[in-house]
Amino acid sequence: MTRTGIVAWNTFREAVRDRVLYNLVFFALLMMATAVLVGQISIGIDSIVIVSLGLSAVSVIGLLMAVFIGVGLVYKEMDKRTLYALLAKPIRRWEFLLGKFAGLLLTLTVNTAAMAVGLFLTLFYVNRALHSADLVVLTAVYFILLKLAIIVALALLFSCFTTPFLSICFTAGIYVTGLFVKDIRSFSDITGNPALDRVAVWFSYLLPNFQNFDVMGAAAHGRAIPGAIVAQNTLYAAVYCAIVLAAAAVIFSRRNLK
Amino acid sequence: MRSRKSIAVLLLLILPLGFSAVWRLQHQIDRQLDRAEEENDDVLLRSGKLVRVLSLEYGTFLADVYWTRAVQYFGLKRFRQAMSMDMLWPLLDLSTTLDPHLLVAYRFGCFFLAEPTPQGAGQPNLAVMFVQRGIAANPEYWRLYQDLGFLYYWELRDYQKASEAFLEGSRHPDALDWMKVMAAKIAGEGRSRETSMFLWRQIYESTKDDTIRKNAFNHVQLIKAESDMEQLDEILFEFEQEHTRLPDGFGELIRLGLLPGRPLDPAGYPYALSTLGKVEFDPKSPLAITTKKR
Repeated sequence: MTRTGIVAWNTFREAVRDRVLYNLVFFALLMMATAVLVGQISIGIDSIVIVSLGLSAVSVIGLLMAVFIGVGLVYKEMDKRTLYALLAKPIRRWEFLLGKFAGLLLTLTVNTAAMAVGLFLTLFYVNRALHSADLVVLTAVYFILLKLAIIVALALLFSCFTTPFLSICFTAGIYVTGLFVKDIRSFSDITGNPALDRVAVWFSYLLPNFQNFDVMGAAAHGRAIPGAIVAQNTLYAAVYCAIVLAAAAVIFSRRNLK
Repeated sequence: MRSRKSIAVLLLLILPLGFSAVWRLQHQIDRQLDRAEEENDDVLLRSGKLVRVLSLEYGTFLADVYWTRAVQYFGLKRFRQAMSMDMLWPLLDLSTTLDPHLLVAYRFGCFFLAEPTPQGAGQPNLAVMFVQRGIAANPEYWRLYQDLGFLYYWELRDYQKASEAFLEGSRHPDALDWMKVMAAKIAGEGRSRETSMFLWRQIYESTKDDTIRKNAFNHVQLIKAESDMEQLDEILFEFEQEHTRLPDGFGELIRLGLLPGRPLDPAGYPYALSTLGKVEFDPKSPLAITTKKR
């Protein structure tokens, strides 16, 4: 196993030891309650609400994990002084950082996959069958995972140079702003200022566009998502994560740990 | 010993008395709260755009929540026979602004809005506008044209527009053939019992919801009853022409061979004959109750 792989595996084990995956129990209970209740209190949206609530829960739980664990990945190691023992070994700082990123991503993947299984089981219980249109839900889950990868990268970047509280604020701030990228681009419609428009457009391309990954509506209504979007979003997330992680590696490598 | 006994007696007295007082009080509090709830019926955030912004990426789920609220609100108001459903439109508006593809909200919501009070909100024009919005957001879904045509036909009695809506919907590649037939029939005949029966049957067969199915079934039965009553009125008219008086009851008509047996309405209750010689529903018949409500 490579050095990065060892760090990643241990990050995953640590998360499991910290009972992070207990949230799955909450998710299971939520899905069961929804499956039983929704038919009683609403009309005609049984499977729509299962999909939209399920995906929202997968997204919110994933976001909370990505932000709150992500900002502590480096800080905790420094705080407990375990980082010094680690870096004394033949491991580069960027390898350590990449390992931490991969470890948390592995935790999130396992968690998201388990929730997706729960979601499909609930859908099967409500509809008494699974249809080919339900495959869109898998794409939506995959997109959530891509979004979480960017969030983890951002959280890791901020945790390299600031406190956990500020890291949470910055990551959450970028996440929320990233949901309104289209609105930022149409800023000039309100202001009528071309210079401001140019700044806004440039700024909007710097931000991660989380609207790309929002296909919950399509998944809830069984609308197909073109394969090209899946490929482009995968590439977008990979490139964005690479940029953020490279920045994080540069900052972390130059950081004085004394 | 004595004090223990007296405590037990006291408890036996206090417990039932106390709990009966609690029971009464709770009922009073419930009544007060119900009243307050009705007065406070409100949708705090009415701007769909604002709610969409606040919902971040969870608009689809929030739309489901608002739709469920609309269903609950409609059910409660209908149960209470309320004469106004002011909050219905904001709830439907929010649901479909958050999720413009929530077809179920357009399909059922338009009926909630269009039906006369206290069965619905009594706003057929708003219902038409709502379905048109649904068509604009989901042009590929031909059933919305069926709903639009139905609203024009049944609630607004605008047969030209009804025919146009059915014709427009029939151009959709997935639309069923009867849409074209309906367009032509309504354009030619306007309102007819046959058309009304067919349209209500379509709703009955195409919906999965029990409330809507029951409502459609009621309408189908009412249309059947309307036809029965017309035939019975003709028989009564013939009798009156021949005997220059009204019959004593259906029994006399059966004895004369004008009727094969006691006429029953589609719900299985016998029709009644008023002193003025008019055929009426049995007051116990569910159809009589439905007619009164309308």
